[in-house]
Amino acid sequence: MAGADAGGDSGGSRDGTEADRDHAVRRYLHERVRITVDALEHLVGGLGTAILALVAFLLLFVVAIASVVGIGLVVVPSALKAVRSVAERERARLSRWGFQLPAPPPVPVGLGDALRDPWVRRECAFVAIHGTAGFVLGVLGLSLPLSAVQYLLFPLYFWLLPPEDGGPGIVMWRIDGLPDALVVAMIGVGWLAVAIALGPRMARLQALPGRLLLAPPRDVDASLRIAELTATRAAALDAHAVELRRIERSLHDGAQNRLVAVTVLLGAARRALARDPAQAAQVLERAQDAAESALAELRAVVRGILPPVLDDRGLAGALHGLAAGCGVPCTVEVDVPGRCAASVEATAYFVVAEALTNVARHSGAGSAAVTVRRDADRLYLSVTDDGHGGADERRGSGIGGIRRRVEAHDGRFTLTSPPGGPTTIFVELTCGS
Amino acid sequence: MRIVIAEDDALLREGLALLLRAESLDVVATTDSPTTFLSAVDTFRPDVAIVDVRMPPTHTDEGIVAAVEARRRHPGLAVLVLSAYVEQAFATDLLAEGAVRLGYLLKERVGRVEEFLSALHRVAQGGTAIDPEVVSQLFARSRPDSTLGLLSARERDVLALMAEGLGNTAIAERLFVTEGAVHKHIRNIFAKLGLAPDDRADRRVAAVLRYLKDTQGRN
Repeated sequence: MAGADAGGDSGGSRDGTEADRDHAVRRYLHERVRITVDALEHLVGGLGTAILALVAFLLLFVVAIASVVGIGLVVVPSALKAVRSVAERERARLSRWGFQLPAPPPVPVGLGDALRDPWVRRECAFVAIHGTAGFVLGVLGLSLPLSAVQYLLFPLYFWLLPPEDGGPGIVMWRIDGLPDALVVAMIGVGWLAVAIALGPRMARLQALPGRLLLAPPRDVDASLRIAELTATRAAALDAHAVELRRIERSLHDGAQNRLVAVTVLLGAARRALARDPAQAAQVLERAQDAAESALAELRAVVRGILPPVLDDRGLAGALHGLAAGCGVPCTVEVDVPGRCAASVEATAYFVVAEALTNVARHSGAGSAAVTVRRDADRLYLSVTDDGHGGADERRGSGIGGIRRRVEAHDGRFTLTSPPGGPTTIFVELTCGS
Repeated sequence: MRIVIAEDDALLREGLALLLRAESLDVVATTDSPTTFLSAVDTFRPDVAIVDVRMPPTHTDEGIVAAVEARRRHPGLAVLVLSAYVEQAFATDLLAEGAVRLGYLLKERVGRVEEFLSALHRVAQGGTAIDPEVVSQLFARSRPDSTLGLLSARERDVLALMAEGLGNTAIAERLFVTEGAVHKHIRNIFAKLGLAPDDRADRRVAAVLRYLKDTQGRN
């Protein structure tokens, strides 16, 4: 972007560059502030559940000790319920954050069953870790920015305190006058930098026990996988229905109408033959045109279903063909030994075709790169351009179509397109062969 | 005969107009959407409207809706609906108001110019034209144990042509028999099916189609 107007007069272009840089700096700062505030919010929320976890952990501890002498056994179910409700709060918190954690089945009724239940065991481990380490992290995470504020504000109120008391926290030396107080404020800037740098990391670290221990135990994964497969299968059926409707529509309104026109014109020509052979010849010519455009329509429909070029030249050849036809210079790197299932190759072809169409139409890019790599049973595909970014799936432009087609194949689709670029579409498919 | 055409495919629309004008029929307007079609009917007061089923905006049954609306506004209007494929529901919607001055044909029938023109004239003069495909689907779907089994092969042929809307003379021509023979077949058919005999083609069509629909299998 910055170099885009380099051809203009030098003064104007420097202004433009500086404005762009200012803009980028503002955007960066804005982004840092947002991330820091988010991290603080997560740490505070995490501290909340950590306090609850600590209480539940202590309760568990007491009940365990009491159970050794027998009387605790009666209250074990209540203690486990308390643990569960803490775990549920953390699950809800993490879900709001964007980590999907499915709800567990109810705590088993019998004491033995409950203690053998993998969900319950993992939740107990969770309250132990989150109630201690998570608690410490939360307190640290909260006190870092607070003490930064305290240090920064120190020059405003130092004269209220006796100089020999020193400053806040680690500042033990005498504070004599404003310069000393400003040194304290500088330390505050350091604290703030530490808070900005470490805050997001601490928030993520604090969430880690919940993400690991509150997720379904490994053997439960299978049933969730089934649910996920059922959903993607439904999506596949939908995608097929959409695809079939598209094909039906293009056959009916395209090729079939052309062919009907051919028969109509042929009928007219036959009738004209007796009356006026010259007119018949004209009508026949139009009939031929209609027949040719019917053929063109049919070719287009067939290309949309399963591009014949895939059969003729394989995925690599087909993608090179697409790149050559792209309006933007485009490099293609294909490292796919052997062939994948036809539908997977067709999907990969479709993704690249749509993505390159987007690049040419919307991105303003000077170049694009396509890479396809096969690793065991997975096909990894990426399309990158150096355009102005800001691609948005919700604003049409075919990206939604790519996602639907990829997800119908149980694949993964990721789009990163920050304003200013670059835009990358990343797709992962199962080869099925 | 004054004709208005509603067909969104340009090539087909022009082809139809060309064909009809070459037959010295008066195509007063060609339109490409339901709204322009309805206003053309209001303006030109044609004798016949030729309407495509699938038209913008949704390309489903706009043509049927427009045809029904045009007939509501102008009760004397003859309508010939052209369709890319046979759809029972469309035929039923159209015939709900009776079969007079009504046609429902597959698009490609237009290419058989003589038959298309005779269907067009039949509809314009108050008759009916139902596509053979619609009729044969009705036959194919009727229950095997229905009274249709009582009919001879020749009687079934006659019944099918009756259902298409053909008059006795036309049926006789198609089957290379005398009108007297057709008349006799028809009497037998009505007797076997328990329908009231009727010589008027349009009422006959309605009765036969209703009968065929009633004898359809549940699935």
